[in-house]
Amino acid sequence: MEALEAIYSRRSIRVFTGDEVPQEDVEKMLRAAMTAPSACNQQPWHFVVVRDKETHRRIMGVQKYTAMLEKASVAIIVCAQPGLEKCPGFWVQDVSAAAENILLAAHALGYGATWCGLYPRDDPVWGVREIIGAPKDVVPFCVIAVGVPGEEKPPSQRYKRERVHFERW
Amino acid sequence: MDALEAIMTRRSIRRYKEGKIPEETITTLLKAAMAAPSAHNKQPWRFIVVDDPNILSKVPEYHPYSKMLPNASHAIVVLGDTHVQETDFWVHDCSAATENLLIAAHALGLGAVWLGVHPHEDLIEETKKLFGVPDHVVPLCIVSLGYPQEPKPPRENYDPAKIHRNHW
Repeated sequence: MEALEAIYSRRSIRVFTGDEVPQEDVEKMLRAAMTAPSACNQQPWHFVVVRDKETHRRIMGVQKYTAMLEKASVAIIVCAQPGLEKCPGFWVQDVSAAAENILLAAHALGYGATWCGLYPRDDPVWGVREIIGAPKDVVPFCVIAVGVPGEEKPPSQRYKRERVHFERW
Repeated sequence: MDALEAIMTRRSIRRYKEGKIPEETITTLLKAAMAAPSAHNKQPWRFIVVDDPNILSKVPEYHPYSKMLPNASHAIVVLGDTHVQETDFWVHDCSAATENLLIAAHALGLGAVWLGVHPHEDLIEETKKLFGVPDHVVPLCIVSLGYPQEPKPPRENYDPAKIHRNHW
């Protein structure tokens, strides 16, 4: 898929067929994630790849917008380890860029995905940290549900000329 | 350029050749940015497109990592409207938008680099002052754009130690 086409046609997909996403394609999404830019190239990210359906159900229990995990093939939990920062204050932006790369790669490979926020809400962050058994210094940032799409959505038409200013506000 | 190739070969480019990026290309980049996901689809992003060399030269006076701006074709300031998005989701949303912008720029043969502003208060204040930004709108970053002068190979950041299966 062409890069611009992938960017324009990417949508949040919440309906899946239940079919598996092969590990080699998940690997491609993780490689894409790790090519994201990061402040001082600090790469403060970790990724927890979850296929276990019981774990999916437990995640659904701590974040109410993750119901699509029911038929998702894999949940990629994007985590940050702020202790890895070299330029303090930027880890949120770094992992957000990585998450966007996962979404674009998933879509380019023909899969559907949705970004489900965890951070900065305490309950989902602590809940998921406990579910995946991550250390206290790790922040589960978001869960990306990935699967074979069971719905088709047209490209979003979000360009709004009024959000663009020239030279000054 | 193929999408995966664009993602995998994107690098931060800080050296540029002469040449002005056409306005339609800038619009294409902004369309890419605005195609990002956002929490509750609130789309809190706002953009200031800058090509005035006088203004571009003012940024390095307060931002230590922006020395390439006077040689850039354009800068795009990416901002978030804190009135339309709850908590700090605007940071996540605008970061996703910025990543789309960077990938689109690379796919179109341009060079770009993400210059951090938020969360540094001094950089936020100076940027808001320079560009006349209203109180409730916060600059996230400045993206420098130009025709690339430096070829950089794809970077190998893939680290299997950062991948965990099913649990930490």
